[in-house]
Amino acid sequence: MSMLMLGVVVLVYMFLIAWLGYIGYKRTKDASDYLLGGRKTNPIIMALSYGATFISASAIVGFGGFAATFGMGIQWLCMLNMLMGVIVAFIFFGRKTRKIGEQHNARTFSQLLGLHYGSRTIQVFIAVVIFIGMPLYAAVVMKGGAVFIEQMFHVNLDLALLIFTLIVSAYVITGGIKGVLYTDALQAVIMFACMTFMLFWFYHMMGMSFTEANRELTDIAPLVPERFKALGHQGWTRMPVSGSPQWYTLVTSLIMGVGIGCLAQPQLAVRFMMVESTKQLNRGVLIGCLFIFFTVGSIYHVGALSNLYFLQTDGVVASEMIGDMDKIIPLFINKAMPAWFGALFMLCILSASMSTLSAQFHTMGAAFGADIFPRLGRAKNPNSTLGVRFGVLCSILLSYVICYVLSAGIIARGTALFMGVCAVTFLPAYFCALYWKKATREGALASLIVGASTSIFAMVFLHKAEAASIGVCKALFGKEVLIDVYPWFVIDPILFALPLSVLAIVVVSLFTQKKGVEAEV
Amino acid sequence: MLGIEDPGIYLAYLLAIACLLFSLWFGITHWNRDDKENTNPKKPKI
Repeated sequence: MSMLMLGVVVLVYMFLIAWLGYIGYKRTKDASDYLLGGRKTNPIIMALSYGATFISASAIVGFGGFAATFGMGIQWLCMLNMLMGVIVAFIFFGRKTRKIGEQHNARTFSQLLGLHYGSRTIQVFIAVVIFIGMPLYAAVVMKGGAVFIEQMFHVNLDLALLIFTLIVSAYVITGGIKGVLYTDALQAVIMFACMTFMLFWFYHMMGMSFTEANRELTDIAPLVPERFKALGHQGWTRMPVSGSPQWYTLVTSLIMGVGIGCLAQPQLAVRFMMVESTKQLNRGVLIGCLFIFFTVGSIYHVGALSNLYFLQTDGVVASEMIGDMDKIIPLFINKAMPAWFGALFMLCILSASMSTLSAQFHTMGAAFGADIFPRLGRAKNPNSTLGVRFGVLCSILLSYVICYVLSAGIIARGTALFMGVCAVTFLPAYFCALYWKKATREGALASLIVGASTSIFAMVFLHKAEAASIGVCKALFGKEVLIDVYPWFVIDPILFALPLSVLAIVVVSLFTQKKGVEAEV
Repeated sequence: MLGIEDPGIYLAYLLAIACLLFSLWFGITHWNRDDKENTNPKKPKI
């Protein structure tokens, strides 16, 4: 594909993004518009934005490469993304979140729980976790987007990072959540179209049916490289050996960690408060599931089947073609897809990165300007958006600095770190706010503190994937993890930290409630 | 099933399709269904 064609496609895309950001800016009148879109967001736009925020570039390129290397077991994540991330999230969490949010006039996730439990401490604690933890997650997305721009346009990485950050900041700071939602919707449509086309083109190109392709993939199981067989890999259409390192990574980290973790993501939960009524959420279930099924399902499926293509054209499987898992999907696109699709796929990856990043910037800005410093810039006008805009700017600068200050190893684990901390810290208090009337503010606070401290401790000292990159355990105790007996260091912290956090809210709530009743008597 | 022998894999596919079908049914049948319960907006306390 020529640079001219690529340039034209990107220019048209940037023009559309700028135009949508401008519409968001024009339609933002006060703080409620800036934070929640005035609670009157179109359900289709909300659901598309939810899906686009949910699916980052790493879900496409990273997990697609994982499917190419380790096979179709990752489809459990697609299923859980639909079941937990859309069906359970919209029907069981979304409806109540919207109602309670409206009752309390809450505008952020932290405010929702803070007002529900009647505790400013809870609100600030959640906002601080978001403002400190999310820049790490944002840095992953920023670096991923910048690396992609660097490779496509052959520009310096620093320049690519600066350009990418400036473009996203421009429409988040000016357009607020409306700018984010409108651009997300466009980006979701691009992602949906690209992934669906890729799925159908694959079968057209290979001349196989769904079942035939799967059967061929089953038959090439003996070609699994020895280094992966040692980790438990049994073939691309089989689950890894139970209890093997690959099994623990797939089941505890990817399927359970990300599958459950998505329920307590502040940038996703807040979208439920942006719609006017329950029926908008009902419509969102359909749109959200369709989007996940065709975007995530397609890339995981084609990722695994790309082995057939590489075997046919180059005589080796995907992981033997290129060592870096993250480069398998871009290589497959370059070799197997039509030349014009390369430009569209680039927009797809840019869209996935930008939609996730814009939501992160907005959520961090809201945590800073609406939760931690709610009076900032509101001395004269209580509806001013100045404080939140300043918060967005601070969060962008913080994320930008993290890209340079922290090591690549830590940044690469940023998504898992943040999702793990979010799930363990927020989920019990969030769930109980919606469904357990006996939960007390002391119980919620205990759960937040236990969840945050346990998950951070586990990631620094117990879970090898993060502990080895962070390096604190090595510096203090001379070994990468405290318990170096298999399988303890490969089990994701969510498996034991989440039950502890649940236990904390149940026990402390029952105890403090009893005390409260006795005091009343 | 579907050219895949391991139930651990084809179950993931079948359940994903089941989720999609459920979402289609739910979305269409609940397209205009709203909760009757009224909400009572309050001003933020904090």
